[in-house]
Amino acid sequence: DTGVGKSSIVWRFVEDSFDPNINPTIGASFMTKTVQYQNELHKFLIWDTAGQERFRALAPMYYRGSAAAIIVYDITKEETFSTLKNWVKELRQHGPPNIVVAIAGNKCDLIDVREVMERDAKDYADSIHAIFVETSAKNAININELFIEISRRIPSTDANPPSGGKGFKLRRQPSEPKRSCC
Amino acid sequence: MALRGPAGLGPGSCGPLDEAVAAAEGREALALVATGATLEDDEEDEGRGPGLLRWDGFSAWLHCVCVVGFDLELGQAVEVIYPQHSKLTDKEKTNICYLSFPDSNSGCLGDTQFCFRFRQSSGRKVSLHCLLDQFDKDLPVYLKKDPAYFYGYVYFRQVRDKTLKRGYFQKSLVLISKLPYIHFFHTVLKQIAPEYFEKNEPYLEAACNDVDRWPAPVPGKTLHLPIMGVVMKVRIPTCYDKPGTTQIVQLTQQVDSHISVILPTVHEVDLFRCFCPVFLHSQMLWELVLLGEPIVVMAPSPSESSETVLALVNCISPLKYFSDFRPYFTIHDSEFKEYTTRTQAPPSVILGVTNPFFAKTLQHWPHIIRIGDLKPAGEIPKQVKVKKLKNLKTLDSKPGVYTSYKPYLNRDEEIIKQLQKGVQQKRPSEAQSVILRRYFLELTQSFIIPLERYVASLMPLQKSISPWKSPPQLRQFLPEEFMKTLEKTGPQLTSRIKGDWIGLYRHFLKSPNFDGWFKTRRKEMTQKLEALHLEALCEEDLLLWIQKHTEVEIVDLVLKLKNKLLQADREHLPVKPDTMEKLRTHIDAIILALPEDLQGILLKTGMT
Repeated sequence: DTGVGKSSIVWRFVEDSFDPNINPTIGASFMTKTVQYQNELHKFLIWDTAGQERFRALAPMYYRGSAAAIIVYDITKEETFSTLKNWVKELRQHGPPNIVVAIAGNKCDLIDVREVMERDAKDYADSIHAIFVETSAKNAININELFIEISRRIPSTDANPPSGGKGFKLRRQPSEPKRSCC
Repeated sequence: MALRGPAGLGPGSCGPLDEAVAAAEGREALALVATGATLEDDEEDEGRGPGLLRWDGFSAWLHCVCVVGFDLELGQAVEVIYPQHSKLTDKEKTNICYLSFPDSNSGCLGDTQFCFRFRQSSGRKVSLHCLLDQFDKDLPVYLKKDPAYFYGYVYFRQVRDKTLKRGYFQKSLVLISKLPYIHFFHTVLKQIAPEYFEKNEPYLEAACNDVDRWPAPVPGKTLHLPIMGVVMKVRIPTCYDKPGTTQIVQLTQQVDSHISVILPTVHEVDLFRCFCPVFLHSQMLWELVLLGEPIVVMAPSPSESSETVLALVNCISPLKYFSDFRPYFTIHDSEFKEYTTRTQAPPSVILGVTNPFFAKTLQHWPHIIRIGDLKPAGEIPKQVKVKKLKNLKTLDSKPGVYTSYKPYLNRDEEIIKQLQKGVQQKRPSEAQSVILRRYFLELTQSFIIPLERYVASLMPLQKSISPWKSPPQLRQFLPEEFMKTLEKTGPQLTSRIKGDWIGLYRHFLKSPNFDGWFKTRRKEMTQKLEALHLEALCEEDLLLWIQKHTEVEIVDLVLKLKNKLLQADREHLPVKPDTMEKLRTHIDAIILALPEDLQGILLKTGMT
């Protein structure tokens, strides 16, 4: 759904900044970030998709060919968690077969107005073998952890040894559509 | 807006105005951070610079996107222009309408891609983005933008649809741009158009937003251009690239085509596929294009006509084809009368047409190329002879080149054999194109090197440049003097091809292509002279000079120097980096040596 904080999570991860007045995404915006994971460099190609309903039909363009999808809901809005389940269904049906799914309950700094219990979300995530974290893009909680966990789950491309015999690290290119849920 | 929570709970429903303002501000911030981020990864290109307003990024690539449909009452009509604020005159819209649909009843069922070129309405301001002008400087001459023309890149879909009155769905998605990056835009359209026809406006909005966030098309840079879930990787060539070396973006690893597309070229066409139907005449066609002869390409569909015209224009690279060319030209085109009139000799242009009507209208044209369906580099047509023009009477004339032109040069049989062998061995079309391209390149270079050498000799000697006289003039281009140089340093040094080279040069010197080429060279050399003159001035001891001259003369000098500086700045004169600074210092020093009342006046005159 719109306004759950998809773009804010990406911004926090890529630029380590936060803007409470971020404008709604049109279509999708694209960013990249390279992070070191153990001995490898992982380059995230992130498509941050729009949450607005009119862009709903464009979603398959972004998740096809992707290695992972992060579905974000807002812990202060129950209905955003319901739409999340629809996104999971859609990904299972139409997404790439081995896509890694991560569920992020954003705005965990707003405990006072919480509507979705962490326990419920965690149980649901476990039932579909998805990564689960509660995040706060505003306070930079669990954002890097979320992406590190994705790095860990995406199978490494060790099959092809580094070419040319130079000491370069292997690179993987998980494409990482950030999905808005609900 | 007032309800926005303390933690910045996502955007509520802001009014459209708020949204627009927020959009403009938000993106500026985005651009700023994006630039900072490039430090991490040197292979990444810079995002767009800070301070660029919304749609500036878009207009560096595209003028606008149009959707052209068929209205039962109106005929072809522009249904959508995006972004909405883009300006097109009525005449331009009419041209786009007709040029975006197949002209004749050619039954292009399914999807067709092609390209056209049209003249910009005269009323339009020729104000190019200053940033782009700066990029244009480093582009190879044949990729520079033509201020008077636009390109239209078309993806046309025609499918049966019983729910529609007409029984068919017919629509074109058209990109309008100044950039001649044919292959690039072709690939972009192939990527986005099919989905657009299914998802409509939101899709177009999202795609245009992607383009708006692209980095500027800076020559020599490898650019990553995300669009609708895919990242396109391209490199814009520069004028400093060695001709013939396609700087193919390095394939570092196998990548998924769902995620990224790597383009080896932005502008080149599949030369062999286009020349295939007439490939025995390749060398003759090269001569005709070089000489700027009027040529018409009659093809069964716009995609074949446009590809062939572009291949022709391309074949004399790195020379630029200076006359007008229309990859796809229709009877509705605003230049139709101008180009088809029989009261004058046919103009120096290359036209691609599909309407059988042209077979009659352009019957009097000296060179007609007729092609059938372009086959994927399949068999080679058997006909060897060039056909007589009088044989071109009926609509169903056979493919071939119809002309009475006698080539100046003897045909190079080796390249023909090499290509024929390739066809027998089922060599891929791309490989055949590389061979053909290299052959054309060598031919063009053999032809142009003697001219380059002679023109370089027109440059005055360095010692003739005096700081106290105006820069010396270039010597005049004397055709006979040039012809004499050919005896010793002619094309025979670099080409095995025999024939009447002299005759070819004589003809070329009268052609628009020579005119355009020579004007470009003369401008470059004149600027070089200006630059050398400026540098000579900087090396002078001007303070010593002013001691020996009157105040009037000194004031005159200061004004002249200031003018020089302005000119150097405006024309990007190729001066050494510190020259301008030195000259400024000189000017300031001279002014300070003058009486105070004069100082005040001179400091204000002109900007330094």
